[in-house]
Amino acid sequence: MSKTNTTAPQRSISLDVYAVALALILALLVRLNLVPPVKW
Amino acid sequence: MATIANTQAQGETLGRRLAALIPGLLLLAAVGYAGKFIEQSIAAYTKAHHATFPNIEYVLWAIVIGLIIANTTGVPRIFETGVATYEFWLKAGIVLLGARFLLGDVLHLGGISLLLVAIAVSLSLTFMHVLGRAFTLKPKLTSLLAVGSSICGVSAIIAAKPAIDADDEDASYAIAAILALGAISLFTFPLIGHSLHLSDKAYGLWTGLAVDNTAEATAAGALYSDAAGKVAVLAKTTRNALIGFVVLAYALYWSSRGEAQAVGNKAAFLWRKFPKFVLGFLLISLLATIGFFTKPQLTSLANLSRWAFLLTFAGVGLRTNLRELGKQGWRPFAVGAIGEVFIALLTLGLVYGASHYLNL
Repeated sequence: MSKTNTTAPQRSISLDVYAVALALILALLVRLNLVPPVKW
Repeated sequence: MATIANTQAQGETLGRRLAALIPGLLLLAAVGYAGKFIEQSIAAYTKAHHATFPNIEYVLWAIVIGLIIANTTGVPRIFETGVATYEFWLKAGIVLLGARFLLGDVLHLGGISLLLVAIAVSLSLTFMHVLGRAFTLKPKLTSLLAVGSSICGVSAIIAAKPAIDADDEDASYAIAAILALGAISLFTFPLIGHSLHLSDKAYGLWTGLAVDNTAEATAAGALYSDAAGKVAVLAKTTRNALIGFVVLAYALYWSSRGEAQAVGNKAAFLWRKFPKFVLGFLLISLLATIGFFTKPQLTSLANLSRWAFLLTFAGVGLRTNLRELGKQGWRPFAVGAIGEVFIALLTLGLVYGASHYLNL
């Protein structure tokens, strides 16, 4: 029981944090013109 | 010496974990891109031959291709780890989508969403509990279904499960019911929206308020139009932001009955459950508002967000196993389905009301 309590929330938090970190790094690279314009 | 060996072993494990993601990521990209390719090919064909054919967005093609693979050949195990990253791309895509919003719009639409979410959540939670009792579902299963259908689908159920000490079986029932209903709403919401001639803003708001999973809400919005997809994400993000408060209320309720662990520090609990990508979205929106990015850079960020969503939509199809969903028994599904219809009607009424009285 206690094992479930400690593991489940932490896993979802780290996914969020990694996603935010990746998005911010990409935004910074775009801002510094270190990546070519992204087309759709 | 031992430390160096440990570091090397950790590096190898990390390398192996990253390598395990590659096949699934390639599958997500292939399915998503196939959807985009089909949309563009049909558009080019109809334009060249002056034919009329309804524009079916890449979103639907990607989901349908994914559904076909998942429910015919199945997704081989080698792809599973990478395919499971679709939620990661969804969250990164939402943060990047912040570039398409001025903070003022976020506050205006977010404020309206917050008001509507508060009304919808309190009414739908009450309704779900009455329904759960009528169908003699276990109280904790009802709690999970209520949280899943009123707040944000699978993430809310996963967040609530340990907080209220629910069984694994209850959680998988609730998740299956919410996923099945999410798949149905993908196809029904755009049809209803078109038949009611809803504006992009009204439809996006309705989808964001009514569809449970963030991935499905984003897809159902994008299936209507690009503008509707944008509003749907904002409304859904507002709803997600409330997850901590609702889960905290349930945790306090069940612990007061001695059926869940006591909640220690409430602020820490709220922070733990708070979806951090909401903060990332607000930060990018703030940076876009103060002119930190040039116009071409904003376009690049918006396109990066679209590419991230493309992977997400492919994952939605690939992760939906219709046979598995059918195995979960009819009662949780019936409670979820009736609850969903209630929430869809309630939120539609709220959106109509907001259009008239709140300058939507």
